[in-house]
Amino acid sequence: MIKAISTKSLEKRYGNSFTALSDFNLEVEKGSIFALLGPNGAGKTTLIRILTTLMRQSSGEALVEGFDTRFHGREIRSLTGVVPQENSLDRYLTARENLELHGRLHGMPAPVLRAKIDELLELMGLAGRRNDFPDTFSGGMQRRLVIARALLHEPKLLFLDEPTTGLDPQSRRAVWEYIRSIAGSMTIFLTTHYLEEAEHLCDRIAIMDHGRMIAQGTTHELKKPLTGGTTYEVEFESDASAFFDLVKKMNCVKGFSFEGNTALFRLESWECLSELASGLSGAPVRRISLRERTLEDVFIAFTGSGVRE
Amino acid sequence: MNLGGMLAIWRRDMLVMRRSIISELVAVIAYPLTLYLAFGIGMQGYIGLVEGVPYAIFIAPGLITMTAVNAAYNESVWSLWFHRRVQFTIESYRVTPISVSDIVVAKILSGFTHGLIKGLAVSIVIFMITSFRFPLIHLFQYLLFIIPGSAFFSCAGVICGTVMDKPETIGKVEAVIVMPLIFMSGLFSPLSSYPERVLPLVRLLPTTPLFEGARVALVKGEFLMPGMIQISIYAVLLFITAVFVFKKRMSE
Repeated sequence: MIKAISTKSLEKRYGNSFTALSDFNLEVEKGSIFALLGPNGAGKTTLIRILTTLMRQSSGEALVEGFDTRFHGREIRSLTGVVPQENSLDRYLTARENLELHGRLHGMPAPVLRAKIDELLELMGLAGRRNDFPDTFSGGMQRRLVIARALLHEPKLLFLDEPTTGLDPQSRRAVWEYIRSIAGSMTIFLTTHYLEEAEHLCDRIAIMDHGRMIAQGTTHELKKPLTGGTTYEVEFESDASAFFDLVKKMNCVKGFSFEGNTALFRLESWECLSELASGLSGAPVRRISLRERTLEDVFIAFTGSGVRE
Repeated sequence: MNLGGMLAIWRRDMLVMRRSIISELVAVIAYPLTLYLAFGIGMQGYIGLVEGVPYAIFIAPGLITMTAVNAAYNESVWSLWFHRRVQFTIESYRVTPISVSDIVVAKILSGFTHGLIKGLAVSIVIFMITSFRFPLIHLFQYLLFIIPGSAFFSCAGVICGTVMDKPETIGKVEAVIVMPLIFMSGLFSPLSSYPERVLPLVRLLPTTPLFEGARVALVKGEFLMPGMIQISIYAVLLFITAVFVFKKRMSE
């Protein structure tokens, strides 16, 4: 079966000094929602630019819907929709005219185009603003218009490059809901800095850094290697460090840290919780909760915690 | 070539121009009209006849040509720069099935149309305030110069708008290259006023056959074929360069 995206030993070099992508291998199933995570400068945008035929690879192969990016740019571009990082709306055209121009560039017949524009503007909650210029829109509305533009020609594969960056939580959730609603009808390839976004939306996630693929799998599969030990968060009524002497004697506690009234205990396994609870009996405990591994823990574990330039 | 795609971009540019046509025309007409009033009307009593015609009539075709090529250059350079660096709309064109060549041809066509419309507007104003009249056949001969001339400057605008990232650089190029090219082409004075040894160099400039040919066509009804071929060759060469430069920049 043809994959939506398939790359083999993909490489992109800028001169002799910088390699943005190195031996990059990736496969994305048709109809899935796939997230690509990575710190700034990891190579995510370079990869998207190659897959959308905006840039040529230095070596290796990239197939989109079975078409080679080096030789079939026109076919690939007619099958894909792109939501770039920047809104890239034409501020001198109204919302409707922005969509009309895009439809014409895709060679859509006028009656089909008109009907599709009406449908998408309605769906995105922009029907009442169709004759307004994008400059008068909020960030969320502009983003929805860009998504509508990318969906106009009914692509088989939608690239979303950080689609919710800069949006307020309400607008972000509206975009998520829309992405969920179209899931299955097309393949969605998403890059994001919001790890909860990837966790909520995506079937599979890949993590890349320094131009290389580091890990990929479902959220569960990615978290699995980090499940050695279990961390519990205990909130006391008073300063948690006062209980230092008490917990340091417990054999099942493999590590701990205190911050204000809260302590984090890393236990050998969840069975040790009863021993911890007995040890703390009599102490003014307000709450004990399991601290689950998040995708952020996975991301930091793979890419490090240092700030990138 | 994707004709539908090119036409879509050209239609977009025409729609935007139509929305601001009054303010654009006022701005475009003001500069050549000021030059015409200052030099053509103000100086004609002192200068008298130049190449057999009054000075006001001698400079009129040049001012119309200057407006057309300036408008072609400015539309292309600012449009390309703005779409590339500010709005990022070039990126949104490039993810559609049209090619990079289609985009550059559409932008050259838009610049060229701007040039024709604005040149026409200035010519109407000049004809309204002067007694300068000519037979219609002269206009067709004049257009044979203005078409490759506007195309040449539109291509130049595309190249500058593609390679220049800072708006102030665009302004500098206009002041240091474009305007001197126009003024050195014999806009305000006949080519015979240049020293003999400088003249061959002046004749090599792309603007010289354009401005001289346009003036002779409009005022005298003569057609300078070598000049028309020269500016057409320059326009074709610059078109090839513009497509190459734009493609190269977009692939970076």
